[in-house]
Amino acid sequence: MLLQLRNIFKWVNSGGQRLFLLKDINLNVEEGEFISVMGPSGSGKSTLLNVIGMLDNFDEGEYEFLHESVHALKEKHRANLYKEYIGFVFQSYHLLDELTVKENLEMPLLYKKFKGTERKAMVADMLDRFNIVGKKDLFPTQLSGGQQQLVGVARALIANPKLILADEPTGNLNSAQSEEIMALFKQLNSEGVTIIQVTHSEKNAAYGSRVINLLDGRMIK
Amino acid sequence: MLRNYFKIAWRNLLKNKSSSFINIMGLTIGISTCMVILIFVRYESTFDAHHSNAEKTYRIVQRYSLPEETLYWNTTAYPLAEALRNDFPEIDVVTQISGPVSRVFQVEDNFGNVKRFEESQVLFVDAQYPKTFDVHWLAGDLNSALSGINSVVLTAELAKKFFGLEKENYNSILGRTIFLQSKDPFTVTGVVASPPGNSDHQYTMLIPYEFFKINNEYFSSNWSGNYQGTTFVVLRSAKIKEALEKKIAGWKKKYLNPEDDKRIAYALQPLKEIHNETLYGNSPGGYIMPANILNTALIVALFILLIAIINFVNLLTAQSNSRSKEVGIRKVMGGGRFNLIVQFIFENSLIIIGILALSVFIVRILLNFLNTNLSVIDLQLELGWSHVGILLFIGGLTLALAAVYPALVVSAFKPIQALRNSIRFSGTNRFNLRKSLVTFQFAVVQLFVIAAIVLAMQMNHFRETDLGFSSDAVVITETPEFEKLEVYRERLLGNSGINKVAFGSGPPMAVNGIQLGTNYRLPEQPEEEVMMAEMKIADIHYLDFYDMELVAGRNFLGNKEAFDEFIVNETLLKSYGWNAEEAIGKKIQINEGQATIVGVVKDFNNNSLQNEISPCILLNWTYYQSNAFIKISDANHLSLGVIKNIWEQTFNNSIYDYQFLEDSIEKEYAVENLVFTGFGIFSILAISIGCLGLFGLMSFMISKKAKEIGIRKVLGATLFENLSLFTKEYIGLVALAFLVAAPLVYYFMNQWLEGFTYRIELSFWMFLSGGFVTLIIAILTCSFQSIKAALANPIYALKEE
Ligand SMILES: Nc1ncnc2c1ncn2[C@@H]1O[C@H](COP(=O)(O)OP(=O)(O)OP(=O)(O)O)[C@@H](O)[C@H]1O
Ligand SMILES: [Mg+2]
Repeated sequence: MLLQLRNIFKWVNSGGQRLFLLKDINLNVEEGEFISVMGPSGSGKSTLLNVIGMLDNFDEGEYEFLHESVHALKEKHRANLYKEYIGFVFQSYHLLDELTVKENLEMPLLYKKFKGTERKAMVADMLDRFNIVGKKDLFPTQLSGGQQQLVGVARALIANPKLILADEPTGNLNSAQSEEIMALFKQLNSEGVTIIQVTHSEKNAAYGSRVINLLDGRMIK
Repeated sequence: MLRNYFKIAWRNLLKNKSSSFINIMGLTIGISTCMVILIFVRYESTFDAHHSNAEKTYRIVQRYSLPEETLYWNTTAYPLAEALRNDFPEIDVVTQISGPVSRVFQVEDNFGNVKRFEESQVLFVDAQYPKTFDVHWLAGDLNSALSGINSVVLTAELAKKFFGLEKENYNSILGRTIFLQSKDPFTVTGVVASPPGNSDHQYTMLIPYEFFKINNEYFSSNWSGNYQGTTFVVLRSAKIKEALEKKIAGWKKKYLNPEDDKRIAYALQPLKEIHNETLYGNSPGGYIMPANILNTALIVALFILLIAIINFVNLLTAQSNSRSKEVGIRKVMGGGRFNLIVQFIFENSLIIIGILALSVFIVRILLNFLNTNLSVIDLQLELGWSHVGILLFIGGLTLALAAVYPALVVSAFKPIQALRNSIRFSGTNRFNLRKSLVTFQFAVVQLFVIAAIVLAMQMNHFRETDLGFSSDAVVITETPEFEKLEVYRERLLGNSGINKVAFGSGPPMAVNGIQLGTNYRLPEQPEEEVMMAEMKIADIHYLDFYDMELVAGRNFLGNKEAFDEFIVNETLLKSYGWNAEEAIGKKIQINEGQATIVGVVKDFNNNSLQNEISPCILLNWTYYQSNAFIKISDANHLSLGVIKNIWEQTFNNSIYDYQFLEDSIEKEYAVENLVFTGFGIFSILAISIGCLGLFGLMSFMISKKAKEIGIRKVLGATLFENLSLFTKEYIGLVALAFLVAAPLVYYFMNQWLEGFTYRIELSFWMFLSGGFVTLIIAILTCSFQSIKAALANPIYALKEE
């Protein structure tokens, strides 16, 4: 088991009322799964992903990640945990505009205390694997959306995470570009990486092995 | 890692070129100004501190108590030094100085040419002088150089000028002879380096005090006179100062007459305090930089630095909003808060260190500029290793406030909100902090502006006040030989450009620190009841020359070797309660003799306007008519050449010099002028920094609000409505700042004005106009940016997203 959510609630207080963003979420994710999260806009998909990614807190319930109780962990421990095991891919790529492709890929490694030679090797490896060696010295604004997302995925993968969280990774891409990214996910998954993606498209969801539907912060079957 | 930080810092700097430029400019101006002021303050507060005995050296000063006032003198009777030397073994060194004076010398240079020079910084010093003050010897023997009578020690510069030395072989001129006023021969016994600029002992030539003593037997042996002599002592240890002062108090009766013994109290003033202490003033040749002006300068420097730092911080935190996405991404990629703090501190420090380097460069230029262009005082400011401390202080303060604080703010962003770009400043503390910073900034700006206005008004007041005599177009020359006065007058008046000529000891207002003092009493009064008066020697043309009005009696009939007539001012009458008519015919006794009052002159400002009019006695003496006053009628000053020719024909033994009375009067306000110039410059700088900051803030706000403006415009908002969206807030802040600044300026300016007898009244409009000027500038700065934004086509702004 990679992670387990038990009775997770998340709410915000608004005008004296509790506004629930997540309600009683129970979810088991095994290593090697490829899960698609679906649901209408505002149903809580991003919120769920952020909770799983430990970027956001929850108010009630238990969360275990690789047998560590996330809800009981200190902030610093939690950060170490996701630093080591989780990679993120965003709808709007979120590359640093001031850094080149190569530098963007290297950036997460800097925070993970890899040596300079190791970093070089890992970056070269990624550039190779994603076929973007020729683009390594370009800045993100000089790339197409699909290329940017390719870099985004490469960046998420570079430190060999066990889990990739992707919030509408193809939301800004055309269908050809989308297919390329989905194929990539499929391949990564076959190599053993667990993937949880949020998507609005049935077609994209079909790449996964399981679909979770959310409505008003609640999982529905 | 650092390379990565460096890269991103550099690229960000380039990406926001204009705001980076504004940011760097503002802080550079602030730091440079602050440094220049601190260097100036250090310079002015370390006068004569470089002497190795500085800690143990004291000047003997005296308090002279009269029935109605106490006078503070920095000069002492000449015999004092020798008496102290003989009677007090606990005093290591006693040195007697006279001068500086101006003398003419005749020199034969290496090529046999005889040349004549006038030297204005000739100091008479005894052999103890080099043991008291550090003198850097380049040639000659320091122990014997000043022990003869007809020896002379020259500074290197003067040696070159006199003997046309090409190389620095100063030994070659030892033993050469120069002539004082072409009669007394002096042998060169030493060459020394010029004293540093921050010393009150400026000289180009040292002549043994023995020579002065022999030639001025009367002064140098007289205990009851107070001439231009200064006495310094070096104590075995600073601890015995008080005990010694007590001992001297009991000892002085051995030499002083009983009258003086009662009136005179000697005190030891530490050498290092002389330059900043107004009570005793400076010895002849030096000037005073009052401690309170230096303190004000320090506060000003700190304020300027603070507003510059505040700007920097404001702009940086404002810009950090646009860096929030980066913070979010880095945090999600595993960057901890600590990593981000380090990154941003590194980045900001890099910029600040660059700014510091740039400032050092600018400071050098500014110092050079001050040295050459500041005419009120002679500065020799230099940037040296001793200023590293100042640089570290400023750098440290700037780094702590401007590098660390923004880094803490930025690194605290929460990743999800940062990525959503939903970090908001409105309503949070940070926004209020920025508002208060801007308010503080504008309070300081207004403080400077209002102060500058008040200072300008006071300076103007000095110039416009009716002095009770006319001073325009008056040229003053010296008159070296009394016997030739009438010849000189006739030759002058033979020219159409010259209207009037008069002779006397000095102009109606005492300028250049020269004022003859005397004691006065009624002949029947006992000697202890004397009072102090200024005395002026005047000829029969003097009153008419200066348009001075007689309120009773008549003018002098003529000058005499034994004077017998006085004309007194109205202020003097008050000491006896006489009216003008009553005074005529009364006899008065002064130190120099007795005479009858023949006239009463209407009060005129015989002291510069910081001070009150004091009792003044004009006498018809032939002696001391050492100045000629010449009224010229031509505006283009052709007559100046004529005067020079006549002067040289008449007194062919000396070197010509002249001055305009108005210039000399202006010099009386040197310190006030300096303060005014300073505040003028600082208020302009403060405004510039403030505007740069406002400009930067506005451009940032507007880039944030471009969309809002676009939408409002599409919905029909007018230009004005859109403008007021931005300016309203800042107008409020400027108004608030005014409320803070006004009472402070009122307090400080009142204090400053209190020091002057003739002063302006603070009035409401000075404050309002200061506030108004600032407001206008603030509005213009805001509008410049927002008009651009408000006029832009809304489509572009809306497309941005
Ligand atoms: N900090 C917050 N305060 C208040 N409400 C919030 C907050 N964060 C999210 N929400 C609300 O929670 C709900 C779920 O948001 P979330 O972003 O998870 O939706 P989503 O399913 O990802 O929608 P979309 O498909 O449009 O991305 C929304 O109604 C949103 O307005
Ligand atoms: Mg979402």
